[in-house]
Amino acid sequence: MAAPSSPIDSEQALHTLDRELARGLEMVAAASTLADVEQAEAAILGRRSPFSEVQRALGDLSEESRRRVGQRTNEVRNQLREALSGRRTALEAEREASLLEADRIDVTLPGRRPRSGSLHPLTIVQYEIVDIFMRMGYRVVEGPEVEDEWHNFDALNIPPDHPARTLMDTIYLDVPGRPELLLRTHTSPMQIRTMEAGQPPVYVVVPGRVFRNEEVTAKNMPVFHQVEGLAVDEGITLADLKGTLETFLRALLGQDRRIRLIPSFFPFVEPGAQAEVSCFVCDGAGCKTCAGVGWLESGGAGMVHPAVLEAVGYDPERYTGFAFGMGYDRLAMIRFGIPDIRLLWESDMRFLEQFEGSAVTV
Amino acid sequence: MSWLRELCPVDLAPDELGTLLTVKGVHVEAVIRPWEGLAGVVVARVLEVRDHPNSDKLCLARVDHGSGERELVVGVRNMKPGDLVPLAGPGALVPALPAPLDRRNIRGVVSEGMLCSPRELAISGDHGGILVLPADTPVGADFKDHFGLDDAVLDIEIEPNRPDLMSVLGVAREVAAATRVPLAPLDLSVRESDHRAENAVTVEVRDLQRCPRYVARIIQGVAIGPSPLRVQARLTASGMRPVSNVVDATNYAMLEMGQPLHPFDLALLSGDGIVVRLAEDGERLVTLDDVERSLTSEDLVIADHAKAVAIAGVMGSAPAEVHPGTRDVLLESAYFEPKGVMRTSRRLGLQTEASLRFGRGADPELPPKGAALASRLIAEWAGGVVLAGAVDVGEAPARRWRSVRPARASAVLGDAVSDGDVREVFEQLGLRVGQPNGEVQVEIPGYRVDLDREVDLIEEIARVRGYDRLDSTLPGIKQPGGMAPTYALRRTVREALVRAGLREAISLSFASAGDLALMGHGDGLRVANPISAEEALLRTSLVPALLGAARRNVARGVRGVSLFEVGHVFLHGDPVDERESAAGLLTGPADGSVMDPERAFDFFDAKGALEALMKGLGVRDWRTGAALPGPYHPARSAGVIAGGDLIGAVGEVHPRVAERFDLPDPVAIFEVDVSSLGRRFSRPVLYRDVPRFPAVHRDLAFVMDEAVPAGTVLETLGEAGGGRVGAVRLFDVFSGSPIPQGRKSLGFSVEFRAPDRTLTDEEADEAVGAIVARLAVEFGAELRSG
Repeated sequence: MAAPSSPIDSEQALHTLDRELARGLEMVAAASTLADVEQAEAAILGRRSPFSEVQRALGDLSEESRRRVGQRTNEVRNQLREALSGRRTALEAEREASLLEADRIDVTLPGRRPRSGSLHPLTIVQYEIVDIFMRMGYRVVEGPEVEDEWHNFDALNIPPDHPARTLMDTIYLDVPGRPELLLRTHTSPMQIRTMEAGQPPVYVVVPGRVFRNEEVTAKNMPVFHQVEGLAVDEGITLADLKGTLETFLRALLGQDRRIRLIPSFFPFVEPGAQAEVSCFVCDGAGCKTCAGVGWLESGGAGMVHPAVLEAVGYDPERYTGFAFGMGYDRLAMIRFGIPDIRLLWESDMRFLEQFEGSAVTV
Repeated sequence: MSWLRELCPVDLAPDELGTLLTVKGVHVEAVIRPWEGLAGVVVARVLEVRDHPNSDKLCLARVDHGSGERELVVGVRNMKPGDLVPLAGPGALVPALPAPLDRRNIRGVVSEGMLCSPRELAISGDHGGILVLPADTPVGADFKDHFGLDDAVLDIEIEPNRPDLMSVLGVAREVAAATRVPLAPLDLSVRESDHRAENAVTVEVRDLQRCPRYVARIIQGVAIGPSPLRVQARLTASGMRPVSNVVDATNYAMLEMGQPLHPFDLALLSGDGIVVRLAEDGERLVTLDDVERSLTSEDLVIADHAKAVAIAGVMGSAPAEVHPGTRDVLLESAYFEPKGVMRTSRRLGLQTEASLRFGRGADPELPPKGAALASRLIAEWAGGVVLAGAVDVGEAPARRWRSVRPARASAVLGDAVSDGDVREVFEQLGLRVGQPNGEVQVEIPGYRVDLDREVDLIEEIARVRGYDRLDSTLPGIKQPGGMAPTYALRRTVREALVRAGLREAISLSFASAGDLALMGHGDGLRVANPISAEEALLRTSLVPALLGAARRNVARGVRGVSLFEVGHVFLHGDPVDERESAAGLLTGPADGSVMDPERAFDFFDAKGALEALMKGLGVRDWRTGAALPGPYHPARSAGVIAGGDLIGAVGEVHPRVAERFDLPDPVAIFEVDVSSLGRRFSRPVLYRDVPRFPAVHRDLAFVMDEAVPAGTVLETLGEAGGGRVGAVRLFDVFSGSPIPQGRKSLGFSVEFRAPDRTLTDEEADEAVGAIVARLAVEFGAELRSG
């Protein structure tokens, strides 16, 4: 058998392949742009490349050599293609990354958002209060701020010359011929208006402004806010009042709160009580907020006086009821840590904006 | 506390007793210890008083304090050798001084502490000299122990229905009921002379309605002087000023029993008698506080046969006052009807310990007892003899009996109450209980003016048994909770304005005449007794307060202001037209992000907020109208018209108004009458099909006169499109070159569509043609080419 008359023998071919592989890998590694990669591909695998020459010469080899060299050719081509494609992908990724990098922004800059509004802290607290009562089945109603003596006093069992009437620093209107007009001193007149408007059962809460002729100080304003509650039905008891206030105050101030009723006097309730809640700042241990006693006054309450039921034409033998009233300016101050009540009235944007995030339960 | 223990010997610490009484409805506000800062003061005898070598005013005193001698520098020289005085040596504590005493060099002499005045020891307000103690005080004794000053004071808030608690006895009754410790019996015995009071004076009561009871007792031969130290200390601790033994005796008896008493100098009463009568209109009297009072025929006075000597139940007068030379005393112990006393006291602006007690209701049964106690105390402290008996006019009313049904009590309280429980409660309170016909009857003593109806007795049952024993139950409410429409509306208004980026403010309901003038409102409602004379009207608008708030913010360096308020305003009506109003204000830079160009709030921000409000309320039928008078810029404001009614205004304020409120930037405001919006408030939303076929878009720019309102063009454009116009957006408003002078260009982006198919270009062109023709006719508008 004669030696093949080939320009290259198989050993030479294999050697060329190894050399071209090494050279190719080097070129690929050195390519720093996609164009470099294209160039490397042409130089190594292109038609005029030594690799292609070997490939073309395959046919001239003996069968065994052809198989050996052919296999190697495939291996080398695959390795080179893999390297080229890997390099191409890497360079493409680099290019994209640098394009994106050019878009970089400072993510710590403030976001663009619609101008934000906010509710007044007293409104937030009012919503919390009335929403609890709404869930308990009460209806929220409102009444006029200009009242008359009948609704503000007489019908509430506070006749003229009654000490309780003279103790309230009432602001009267100066309307000729109408001396009975005043700015309501409490939300209680709405008890009368509500009962005058319909028959029992009555379950209402009344938020609103009330007025007293008082100087402006850090603790007092001539205008402040109350929520009145009234329940009149058959079989309402003082124990129901206690349970209602307990349920309400725990919903508002926390389930751990303890509630106590202290006998107290308001002409339109009998028995009368002052509701007190264990201080939610110190939990009853005694602190500055509760003046060391561990209890916070949270409003006046009691069983609707039979004279009040009679004044609106309800039969006090058939119906009983309870009523309560609580101011919530102080509650808002304690809740938000506001040291001076006047801040609530100054409309300072920097004050108001602090309550923007305050969640309102609905 | 020691006084209280004399009447009810209870063995509880002051704080414990305070808590117990509070939960029983006797509100102990505080436990005060007036002599907490008193320690180490001892009784000393003055040995020698001599001049201070370096001072004309000061003197030196040498004293013996039982276990040695001390020398002191003293500022006043009222004591003499042999006197007993309180000595505060080094280390002693005196209430009036913050730190313990020390040796001190005063003008070259070392003072080993000090001698004390009554005020320094918190015994009385007297600071005129060193306190000279009774001759029988043991030298060396501890001052605080000897005079029983290791005491506490319960500060009790008296509710207006319980005047009976304005006495130690009244509180002692509550202590007895709360602790079941029985009351100590009161000693009302008096040593009387053989002469009878009725032979000495006469009493004539001309108005038995206003003065149902008048008891006068006579004490002859008193010597006016100070009352015992311990008495002075008790009066001071009770907030009263010690005056003299006679006056102090009446105050002491009042504090102990609750009966106001008044001593007259008998020698100063002309005609040896008392007349209780109504004053004459214009009658004048100088009261004990040296103020001349003018009386009316509504006022009851105590008079002698020549003149008024006291305003009944309120205050005595200077001309019949007990004075240092008084020998014989007429002691008044009366019952005056509450309303009359209260009216007189209120009209004169004169509130006294007596008027407080009578005004709220004294005990009509008490005058003889009060007179007896005070007479004895006067005789004890000021000497003199008490004449036998009293001149006693009128009588105590018969006691009332009130019944209470235990079943009713159970029903009101939600707590089972039996006959026995009722009996037990009232017996604890020291009240008589009878049970004639199966119902429980309680005899009401004169001092319990608050017990009248059955429900008052039911409260006593709950109070004495304790509110803490009640269960916590809930009523069986058979209705869903909800809101009245007005309240729901108000909440919706707030929600819309918050979403529009405004912050909620609140302001007082008062206004000045200037505020009303600013708004162009004629007359407002006046307040009879305003907090400040400046703001004597009720507000007719929320705008002035918002302008004031903006001024405050800007003055404080806050540049961007965006506020709203929702609240009541008050107009004249029949007689008052109270409405709900909503107003907003925006001024200064709009707080965009750093990337956006800065701009100032203007008209369109206020209008945008208003649009958000209308949208939030579901009000569709509204538009802007002609500018209104008032604080508005005439060319940058408009009325707000809903359903044909003028319901408010929106606009920038007049530059002069902005200047008046020191606001440098344009100020945009709006105010609408929420009450009338409420009638148009509609929230129901009905789904309409979402367009499924693509629209054809055309941008159309028209040139027309400047004066043509864009809103009208927009409306007309919609109509002219013959049902093919969908959404229209005004995207450009432009004037200036190349647009001719006096004209402007409005650019609209118009969407043409049909609900059931894709519109062809030809169909869109047809619609555009119709629009161009219509706008040309109506507004002289030309389509801009290009």
